[in-house]
Amino acid sequence: MAALLTVAACGGGSDDSGSSGGVVTLRYAMWDEVQKPPIEQSIREFEKAHPNIKVQIELNSWNDYWSKLQTQLVGRSAPDVFWDHVSYFPKFGKEGVLTDLAPLIAQDKVDTSGYDPKLAEGWKVDGKVYGLPKDWDTIGLFYSAKALKDAGLTPADLDGLTWNPTDGGTFVKTLRKLTVDENGKRADEPGFDPGKVKQYGLAMQAPTGQQDWWNFALQNGCELQDKPWGRWTIDQPACVQAIQFVQDLRLKYHVAVPATVTNPPNGPSLDQVVGRGEAATAMDGSWMLRAFDTALPDGGFGVADLPAGPVGRGSVYNGLTEAIYSGTKHPKEAWELLKWLTSEKHQKAVAQAGAVWPGISSLNDVFAEAWKAKGVDVTGFKKAAEGTTMGYPLTEAADTYNVKALDIFNQVWLGQMTAQDAAKKINDEANAAIK
Amino acid sequence: MIDDIVPLASAQGRRRRTDRRFARHVRATAEAYALLAPSLIGFLLFLVAPIFGVAGLSLFDWNLMGAPSFVGLDNYRELAADPDAWRSLFNTVYYVLLNIPAQTVLALLLALALNRRLRGGRVFRVAFVLPWMAMPVALGIVWSWIFDPRHGVVNQVLGMVGIDGPNWLTDPAWAMPVIASVNVWQYTGYTMLILLAGLQAIPHQLYEAAAIDGTTPVQRFFMITLPLLRPSLFFVLVTNTIGSFQVFDTVFVMTQGGPGGATDVLNFHIYQQGFQLFRAGFASALAMVLFGLILLVTAAQFLYFRKRTVYDFS
Repeated sequence: MAALLTVAACGGGSDDSGSSGGVVTLRYAMWDEVQKPPIEQSIREFEKAHPNIKVQIELNSWNDYWSKLQTQLVGRSAPDVFWDHVSYFPKFGKEGVLTDLAPLIAQDKVDTSGYDPKLAEGWKVDGKVYGLPKDWDTIGLFYSAKALKDAGLTPADLDGLTWNPTDGGTFVKTLRKLTVDENGKRADEPGFDPGKVKQYGLAMQAPTGQQDWWNFALQNGCELQDKPWGRWTIDQPACVQAIQFVQDLRLKYHVAVPATVTNPPNGPSLDQVVGRGEAATAMDGSWMLRAFDTALPDGGFGVADLPAGPVGRGSVYNGLTEAIYSGTKHPKEAWELLKWLTSEKHQKAVAQAGAVWPGISSLNDVFAEAWKAKGVDVTGFKKAAEGTTMGYPLTEAADTYNVKALDIFNQVWLGQMTAQDAAKKINDEANAAIK
Repeated sequence: MIDDIVPLASAQGRRRRTDRRFARHVRATAEAYALLAPSLIGFLLFLVAPIFGVAGLSLFDWNLMGAPSFVGLDNYRELAADPDAWRSLFNTVYYVLLNIPAQTVLALLLALALNRRLRGGRVFRVAFVLPWMAMPVALGIVWSWIFDPRHGVVNQVLGMVGIDGPNWLTDPAWAMPVIASVNVWQYTGYTMLILLAGLQAIPHQLYEAAAIDGTTPVQRFFMITLPLLRPSLFFVLVTNTIGSFQVFDTVFVMTQGGPGGATDVLNFHIYQQGFQLFRAGFASALAMVLFGLILLVTAAQFLYFRKRTVYDFS
């Protein structure tokens, strides 16, 4: 319990972004290991062009990133530049820990027209600009080419699938074909043993819902909030049905990898699950392309559209920004770094490496081309972005939702809690956290 | 000293003597406190003050950034009605029950075995204590690999004898036993060391006398060893129980309280409320509950052992 005070105290007054001999060291925080190599490479170039600036990358996994960053913010020792996410933006904006970029943009006449307006607009409040777009992402259905072939299916068979809460639709039918037990029986064949499955049709894993049930929710007409910045409404029937469907895929249809395998934070990432042949497909985000590319042999995977639900198609759409900590001791240098990170040159390099879809719209083709050269068609992510999408909920209660979602949905997927109880519990607790 | 040969007769002289004795006493006490000061100040500043600080904070609502607002006992009321707080309490007790008996019995058996004059006995002693000296965080990472369902040693060994090992850390039924076993492994050596010291303090003559009286080894264990080991047992039980109630690092590194809250122990819950949800007041209230709980259990252990402990036979 003394830790509470100690940790709060030890941040104060520490000055670790020091400068010596005119060289300033900036700290840059991110959470995705997969994106680090191309970003690091590009930053080395930035350092060459700015001999007075050194950049130190701080990498923390998503599960640790936010508590670490916020503890640093409390202790006034946050990184100078960091990845920011819409789910934390409302709180940060309110606490005044983000630098308003608007005057800097005006002063340096930075052209912001190249950014996808859908991304850029979300970060503006009352004329203030709290970050510039880094990237964007949607969710797709990654598949193993081999698993598809073994089931006698073609990638085209994954197009136009539909699901419904009653019998699962053609989506579940297809997943049955892709689920194989230890005796080689498929889930749609007589004698299939659901207790001894060698390969499941689908793998899902999401700390928040972004890569699993939020997509089904959107396709089922569920709204996570009554309005942006409003209250959570995930206890509505359309949302509960979506949660139920994800549980059904595991426990009723036996076509999805059990939660005892994939449970975050310990479960293996989905590229690993598909790479080992434990699942034929996986719902995951476009930022995972490089990971799947590493886990599977060349030409061993592709990306299909998500199925359509009762109200149609749709995917969660999200984007990150680069933000500057308002308490940075080197605002000038931090702005130089941010300009680089959001420049066409940097984002092109990252897109060419196939890391993430870039924040600058004209570079989307660079990313698609990079993957086409590897034999992977990623245009589905873009098609998804142009269709019906759902952004991350804008709320002050992101901490509560994220922490509770990890705990509570795990229990639903394990069959220890009903979809209805979980939805009510998380809804009540997240709403109670809104001030 | 000169004073001491002054005749004792007069009352005045007696008073003067008492005064001097008192002055000497005061000086001695002052010296003692002066020598104690560094550690005393440290104790007050870093142990007593934080406890009062946390107790005070538990009456506030504070997100660490803005200004704290006074809410009285609201945090405690909320705590009493919070099923997740109760779950973390049960998880903690479950962990203690898995950990302490296993660790104590194992350590006792090891201590008895190593108490014989074995060739190379010292090597074993060092080997068993080594885990205790290692960093819990590093151990957590290594054990996570060992328990990895696919590539971990545990399941590979089980596979050799035809057993399909479970997903240790993602299965809620197994996660807590795994955490407990890692801690048993880590602290058994330390416990063994204390018990071994206790065993070696038992006078050998007692065993010889008992042997002449025709007792069996089992009788000697229960009638001599165990009663005379009580001070050491008491010490390890109290300190290990306190430590177990405060388990954190292994949970933090290996499971983050998951899967589905199965390893969400009180100390992790405090961390989560304090540093993930930024509810410093509520976390402090939880910390006070943990403090009270440990106090209670320790007091119970003291009462139990005081009645039955025979001290120092040498």
